[in-house]
Amino acid sequence: MSHVLEIRNLTKKFGDFIAVDNMTLNIGEGEIFGFLGANGAGKSTTINMIASLLRPTKGEIVLLGKNIVKDSKFAKMNTGIVPQELAIYEDMTAYENVSFFAGLYGLRGAMLRERTEEALAFVGLGDKHQSFPKNFSGGMKRRLNIACAIAHLPKLIIMDEPTVGIDPQSRNYILQSVRKLNEMGCTIIYTSHYMEEVEEICTRIAIVDHGKIIAEGTKEQLTSIITDTKEIWIGFRADGAISIESLQGIAGVTAVRQEENTLKIVSKSEVNNLNRIIQQLIKDQVEIRSVEEQAPNLESVFLTLTGRNLRD
Amino acid sequence: MDEMVWLIRKTLKDTFRKKKNWFLYFGLPIVGILISLFFYSNASTGTIRAGVVNQDGSQVVTSGVIRYLEGLGQVQVTPLDEETLRARIASGDLDCGIIFEQGFADRVKTGEPGHIRIMSVKGESVTAYIKAMLQSYIGNVAAIGKETKGDEAAFARIYDSYSQHPFKLKATAQPDTSNEKMMSYQTIGYLITFMMFSAANLSEIILKEKENRTFLRLLSSPMSARAYVLSNVVVSLLLIFLQIVVTLVAMKLIFHIDAGMPTFPLIVVLLLFALTAIGLALTIVAFAKSTSAAGAMRNMIITPSCLLAGCYFPVNIMPETVRKISSFLPQHWLLDSIDQLQQGQSLGSLYVNLLILGGFALVFALIAVYRFGKNNDSRQFV
Repeated sequence: MSHVLEIRNLTKKFGDFIAVDNMTLNIGEGEIFGFLGANGAGKSTTINMIASLLRPTKGEIVLLGKNIVKDSKFAKMNTGIVPQELAIYEDMTAYENVSFFAGLYGLRGAMLRERTEEALAFVGLGDKHQSFPKNFSGGMKRRLNIACAIAHLPKLIIMDEPTVGIDPQSRNYILQSVRKLNEMGCTIIYTSHYMEEVEEICTRIAIVDHGKIIAEGTKEQLTSIITDTKEIWIGFRADGAISIESLQGIAGVTAVRQEENTLKIVSKSEVNNLNRIIQQLIKDQVEIRSVEEQAPNLESVFLTLTGRNLRD
Repeated sequence: MDEMVWLIRKTLKDTFRKKKNWFLYFGLPIVGILISLFFYSNASTGTIRAGVVNQDGSQVVTSGVIRYLEGLGQVQVTPLDEETLRARIASGDLDCGIIFEQGFADRVKTGEPGHIRIMSVKGESVTAYIKAMLQSYIGNVAAIGKETKGDEAAFARIYDSYSQHPFKLKATAQPDTSNEKMMSYQTIGYLITFMMFSAANLSEIILKEKENRTFLRLLSSPMSARAYVLSNVVVSLLLIFLQIVVTLVAMKLIFHIDAGMPTFPLIVVLLLFALTAIGLALTIVAFAKSTSAAGAMRNMIITPSCLLAGCYFPVNIMPETVRKISSFLPQHWLLDSIDQLQQGQSLGSLYVNLLILGGFALVFALIAVYRFGKNNDSRQFV
């Protein structure tokens, strides 16, 4: 598999702060590459450098064999970015939005009209091309945000949280669109806070923490990293305080987090500590409702490797 | 270049699509013309209404001075007694009053004329002309008195000959253009303010793009940050040029106000100032973090500086300190250039003013570029 994107020893500093630290990564043609990291992990800085919005302090990024700093026009012509925050003009129609952004890539005349209509149809807004985004739902705006990035048919599409704050129907539509774009030959870099989305669509995933890639591979390869761990989910009644610290002190427990009425405890699989955990909860006067042991998933991998939740 | 033209086209289309922009960019300068018309069209017509009190009886010299005043053409003389004169000046019927006291003629004949009492509530603007004309005439008659050294017959003969003045005087009426010049000067004063606000508004598009995140998309396209800012400058320059043309055309063709100077040099200095205004607007944008912050900075800078520079009132009615401060403002140098062009100076002779205006534009642009360069955060973008 040839590489569409090669990142070599990439570093970005803001004053003394190192946002991206000597990162090396290759993304192959036709991949949907998941980029996972908590806020401030260095993911957006990396994406901004790939999109030529920021200059690296050190290292290089090679897109389709060309250094993007030296040949930024070529890199930009072959990249499409779907930013996390909507980047559309509210006072221009959907058609005008897509047409304007596609025009920046040199498309004109019949070709521009054709690509604009195709992009709008692709995201399911073909019948809304004369409507203004201010009258759109959140999901429709997100889809228009995607259409603006794909009309010039880029080889690499960067999607930064494309499904934030939208209804399940629009989310499914967007995920289907990502798969379709991939089938059409686009390589996609996908970031999301929704672990299940990444698990569902990404062919390969990198976990970024403190500006470094701490793990990389397919979902199966990543979960195999933590075969020596297990995840215990304990459901409890809402009232009453939970002492996370006392649970973390139990032998074998590596991470504890609370999500509403569920405690998610990551522990070493060889340590039999379930009784100790339950005893501690009873001691803390917690009313236990359910106990389940989960197979390792991407979320537990992330928690084990970074000690943080993806949404932290 | 191609993407720059594409962006310029889009920005112009967006700007002209909004009706309020038509009023903002072209309607307001016309309102400025109307304000100038309102202030200056009611100004003096050029004839001074003067009341004359002759307490010197039927003296030939005194009567001669009064006849001289009547003959000036621009002074409408009404003989009155002192009490009526005071009442009519106070009521505004007369612009000024001149009192020839008893013994006036005798003192002139000795060669040492006494003071003439001139009264007015309108001040120097009315009395200066009469004072100057009387000083010259009475000075001549007093010179005859001095030379004849008390010889009444000789004085009468020479004075008679002087009064008959055998030389031929051809009087040509020259239209008074001072009002029109003031009107166009003031209109340009208002235009300066609107040009500065227009430049600020147009540069704030950069901040709006930043706020609605479209700049991220724009800069991830083949357009460079430099081309993006340059396209904004081109749009501003184009719109301000149109604003200048519309104002000058409206002044000349609709309101029939003659600027009192050739159009080409006027457009050149206005365009040079437009560059300064755009430079300042970019500096504001470079320092402001949001459109509301830029709006506040814009109002804090433009209105007071225009006021100090004389855009709203002639600078010569302001205190000396304010006049000195105004020298540090680009608007002052534009208004000074306009004033000099109205006085018949050529564009070339105004090179100091033009260099200062160009210097302002350059300094503002350099500050903006430096500041944009310091914005390393991708959200600050340029």
